[in-house]
Amino acid sequence: MARLHSQPICVASGLLVPLISLAAPSWLSLGGVLPSWAVLWLLPWALIDGPVSGVIAGAAMGLILDGLNVGDASQVPALMLLGWWWGRLGRRGRPIQRSLNLGLLAWIGTMLLGLSLWAQLLVQGVDAPLAQAFALHTCLAQGLMTGLMAPMIGSWQLLIWRRRTPA
Amino acid sequence: MGSSPWPQGTRSRSLKRIWPWLVLLGVLGMVRWSKGAGFADAYALLTRPFWPGSAQKQWIQSAQQQNDATRLQLLEVDNARLRGLLSLDRQGAKNAISAAVISRTPEGWWQQIVLGKGMLDGIQQGDAVIGPGGLIGRVQSATPATSLVRLLTAPGSRVGVWVPRTRQHALLVGMGTSRPELKFIDKDVKVRPGDLVSTSPASTLLPANLPVAVVQSLNSRAVPAPTALVQLIAPPDAIDWVQVSRR
Repeated sequence: MARLHSQPICVASGLLVPLISLAAPSWLSLGGVLPSWAVLWLLPWALIDGPVSGVIAGAAMGLILDGLNVGDASQVPALMLLGWWWGRLGRRGRPIQRSLNLGLLAWIGTMLLGLSLWAQLLVQGVDAPLAQAFALHTCLAQGLMTGLMAPMIGSWQLLIWRRRTPA
Repeated sequence: MGSSPWPQGTRSRSLKRIWPWLVLLGVLGMVRWSKGAGFADAYALLTRPFWPGSAQKQWIQSAQQQNDATRLQLLEVDNARLRGLLSLDRQGAKNAISAAVISRTPEGWWQQIVLGKGMLDGIQQGDAVIGPGGLIGRVQSATPATSLVRLLTAPGSRVGVWVPRTRQHALLVGMGTSRPELKFIDKDVKVRPGDLVSTSPASTLLPANLPVAVVQSLNSRAVPAPTALVQLIAPPDAIDWVQVSRR
């Protein structure tokens, strides 16, 4: 059984996510919106390490990012759900490693994350038409950027991590 | 019949000799009458290449700026004295801390900047963050070495402001877009595009009379009260240094 979470170097790679989120390289943005670095890291992690590890990694990543971000909207629920779902996908059938699959999963995950944030904004009373247009724009742009980057970054992560944790 | 002591030919020769002098006298009279216009214009034309250039223009502008700065300083002192008389002297320029912007995400779900100074420098939650031109946000949280600033454009951001011209209070609400929305409290709003939006002169949470934005468009049909879209004066996506005003 793969045990990614028992390797400190693999766990430490998660620290890159908040650092890149803070660095916020604008040349990787689409319409001013950056990809979801948490989704890009969590997808290969959960595919390799399973649903339980995926849920815990999603919660940990969400808590760290919530601490670094302003506002009351939380990423924790969506990231936990994605970690569990991707962990189960990784344990069923053939390993997921094709570019299209990774991109599609990352796009769905980012859209789900965006919709959860959008719903939280609505609950908080940010419901003006302009705010809805902003939320839609951010969802679509972030989903597209993350879906395009997942085949590049995700494939590379899968390759390295699968070598370190042979089944 | 008496005869002239000067022969006829002699008189005409005398006139011929003096008429150029008469013309000269006339020209000089014209010059005097026109206040030397021809000479001044000719002088201007000839000396145009040697007129004061851009360097001297900059000197004058620099002097003008210095004059403005001095006047502003004097007015601030006067304003502080008057605010002190009104017991509104809780904030002043002495409390400002300069801080570098070390991270910025002006768009997306979380519209924020991170400053390179924090609690060790006296920055606290709720402090106002001022960019060149006006208010850009408030400190949401502070660590010993950094401060997280929620921009005015961030969705859910709410700051109380007022329009000095009409003396009407409003709530500046972030929409996630670059133009926040101004929600008025009164139904009878006399605000028009171009009006300045500033912090309230009686504000206790933010520095008083701080420029914030300019009204761009007004929606007078909004319910329950009119709203307006505003353009922030200080663009948060192009600021490297800010001032944090301590409360």
